[in-house]
Amino acid sequence: MDFVPKRHARYFLRFLHILPSDASHYDSIRLAMCFFAVSGLDLLDSLDQLTLEKKDHIRDWVYHLLIQAKESGAQDEVARWGFQGSSTLIMPPATGVVDHSEPYACSHVSMTYTGLGTLLILGDDLSRVNRKDVAAGVRACQQSDGSFCALLSGSECDMRFVYSAAAVCYILQDWSGMDVGLATNYILQSLSYDGAFAQGPGLESHGGHTFCAVASLSLMGTLHSMLSRKQLDRLRRWCVMRQESGFQGRPNKPIDTCYSFWVGATLKILDCFNLIDEAPNREFSLATQNGITGGFSKWTNTDVEPLHTYFALAGLSLMKEPGVLAIHPELNLSQRAVDHLHRLHEKWNNS
Amino acid sequence: MTDSSSDCTLEEEYVLYKNRPQWRDVTPIQQDDGPNPVVAIAYSEQFRDVYDYFRAVLRSGEKSERVLELTNDAAQLNPANYTVWQYRRDVLHHLNSNLTEELDYIGETIREHPKNYQVWHHRRVIVEWMKDASNELQFTDQVLSLDSKNYHAWQHRQWVVATFKLFDAELQYVNNLLVKDVRNNSAWNQRHFVIVHTTGFTPEIIQRELEFTASKIKDVVNNESAWNYLRGVLCHTESGNITSEDFILDFCQELYDMGCRSPYLLAFTIDICEEFLELGVSSEAYPIQKALQLCEDLAVEHDKIRKEYWKFISRKLSQNVSCKTDVNSSS
Repeated sequence: MDFVPKRHARYFLRFLHILPSDASHYDSIRLAMCFFAVSGLDLLDSLDQLTLEKKDHIRDWVYHLLIQAKESGAQDEVARWGFQGSSTLIMPPATGVVDHSEPYACSHVSMTYTGLGTLLILGDDLSRVNRKDVAAGVRACQQSDGSFCALLSGSECDMRFVYSAAAVCYILQDWSGMDVGLATNYILQSLSYDGAFAQGPGLESHGGHTFCAVASLSLMGTLHSMLSRKQLDRLRRWCVMRQESGFQGRPNKPIDTCYSFWVGATLKILDCFNLIDEAPNREFSLATQNGITGGFSKWTNTDVEPLHTYFALAGLSLMKEPGVLAIHPELNLSQRAVDHLHRLHEKWNNS
Repeated sequence: MTDSSSDCTLEEEYVLYKNRPQWRDVTPIQQDDGPNPVVAIAYSEQFRDVYDYFRAVLRSGEKSERVLELTNDAAQLNPANYTVWQYRRDVLHHLNSNLTEELDYIGETIREHPKNYQVWHHRRVIVEWMKDASNELQFTDQVLSLDSKNYHAWQHRQWVVATFKLFDAELQYVNNLLVKDVRNNSAWNQRHFVIVHTTGFTPEIIQRELEFTASKIKDVVNNESAWNYLRGVLCHTESGNITSEDFILDFCQELYDMGCRSPYLLAFTIDICEEFLELGVSSEAYPIQKALQLCEDLAVEHDKIRKEYWKFISRKLSQNVSCKTDVNSSS
C-alpha cells in the first residue's frame, strides 16, 4: 500500500477535535492523545492545517491542566506540580491552581512530558511554566530505589516514568527534578541477562522499556560512560535481532508497528540504525495503514488507534520517509521542535 | 429475603445517579474542561453522570458504602483512572471493608482488563494490606494460562514470589511452562529470576543450567530465548566469559558439524571466536577466520535481514585482528 500522509493528517485532526464515547478509557490521558495528534501533524509537516485560533485553543487547554504554585516560591503543594492528564478532576471554580480542597488533583509525570512536548511543537516559549515548580513536582515522584511513580495519588513505579522524568528534566534544563545517580542505578539494575532493559529489576527485557532506559541515559549524557563497550555491543545485537520484517518488542513475540519506533529509536541513539533492513520494516508499517480513514494499527487487519498511528509514523520518520519530518529519537519530538527547544535553552542560559 | 432492586440492577434497569433518590443529598459537579477543549470525548450520558457525582464526592470527602459502589461504576467506565482506584482504596480503608471480597472483585476486573496497569496496582495494594498472598500464584497462573506472556501478570507474580518468599515450586512451574512452549521468553526470564533469588548461580547450578538449556536448544534450535539464556548463565561463571565452559564449546561445534545453521548458533560461534581473539587464546576450533566466514554466511544466506549488521560485525572483527597484529608486530 502507498503511504497516505494526507489521510493520516485528517485522522489526527479528527481526534484532536473529538473522540467517540468508546474512547472513554483514554479519559485520564487526554493530554497524551493531544500530543499524539499535534506531534503527528508536526511529523507530517501539516501543522499549517491548524488555524492560529486552534493552536491557541490547544495551548490554552494544555495550560488549563498545569498545576503550579499560586505564588512563585510557595512550598505547600510541591508534590502535585506539573500537568494533569485531563480535566476530569478539574472543578469550577478551581482552575490552574489547587488548594487543600482538591486533595486528589495532581500532576502525572508522563503527562508533564507530553504537555511540555505539545507546547514546544506549537512554538510556545514555556514562559507560563514555572520551571522550578515543575521540576520539584517530578522530583516528588522519585522512589528510594530510583524509579518514579506516575503520580502521587497511588500508582505503580517503573522505567516508563524514569524516562518521562528524564525528558522533563532535559526539556526544562533542570536536573534538580531527579537524583540522577539513583535513577541511573535503577536503570542499570533493570539490565537483563539477555543484554536489554526491562520495566524494572528482574523483569523481562522489552523493546519499550529498553527505549526508556537508553533514551534516559542518553538525555543524562551518560550512555557511553555507564554502559561498557561489551554491554553496548550486546544491546545493539538484541535490538537488531528484534527485526523480523517489522519489529517485535520481545524475543518470540509477534511484530507490532510501535516497535519500529521503540527499537528503531534505540538503534538510532546507539548510532546503528543504518544496520536494519528498511524495506521490509517500511512495508510492514504501510500494510497496517487504513487507506480510507487514515491511521495505523498494531498489526495488519486490526483497528487503527492513536498510539499506533503516532508511533508507526515516528518509525517511518526514522527511515526518512519522504514527506515526514526527522524525529529526535531521545525526546520523541520533531527535530524542528527540538531546535526550537535548544534556542529556548540558549535564551534561558543567557538570562 | 427478597432482592433489593439496587443490589442486583440489570443492565436495562440502570438508573442514573441524578435520578437515584438515595443520592438526592449530593449536588453533582460538572467537569471544567476550559472554554475551548480539544481531544474532547463524546461522553455517554452515564459516563458524565457517574463522574459528576465522583467529583462531588472527591470534594466532599464522603467515604461510604454508596461511594464504594460509585467508584465501581467509575472504574468500569474507565479502569485506567488512577484517582478512582486511589479513592476506592481510601474508602475501603475508612470502612474497614472485607478485603477478601475486594480481592475477588479486582480479580474479576483484571480478567476483563488483563493489560491495564491500574487494576494490577490495585490488586498489589490489596495483597499488601492483607499480608496474605495465598491466592496469588493460582490467580496469576489463571491469567497466564490465557496469555503466557502477559507482562503485568509476570510482574505481579515476581513481586508476590519475592515478597512472600514463595519460591518453592516456582522452578517446577517454569519447567511446566517451558514444556508447553519452549519459546516462552517470559518463562526463561522467570527461570533466571528464581535462581538468582534462591540458590544463586553456583558452579553446580551453572552446570545444571547449561545442560538443561543445551537440551532445550537441541529440541528447538531456532529459539532465541534459549540461546539468550545460555549466554546469561555463562555470564555467571567466574570469568564471565562465554568461552569458559568446554562443554558449550563442544556443544556448538557439534551442532555446527551436524549441519545446523541457525543464526543464533552462528552468532554465538562468532562471539566465541571474538572472545578468544580478545583473550589472546589461539583456538583451533574457533579461529577468527571462522567468525569472518560466518558473518559472510549470515549476511548472504542464513540471516539476510541483518545483512548490514553482519557486515558491520565483520568489519569490526577485521579491525580487531589488525589491531592485535599491529600490537604483536610492534612489541
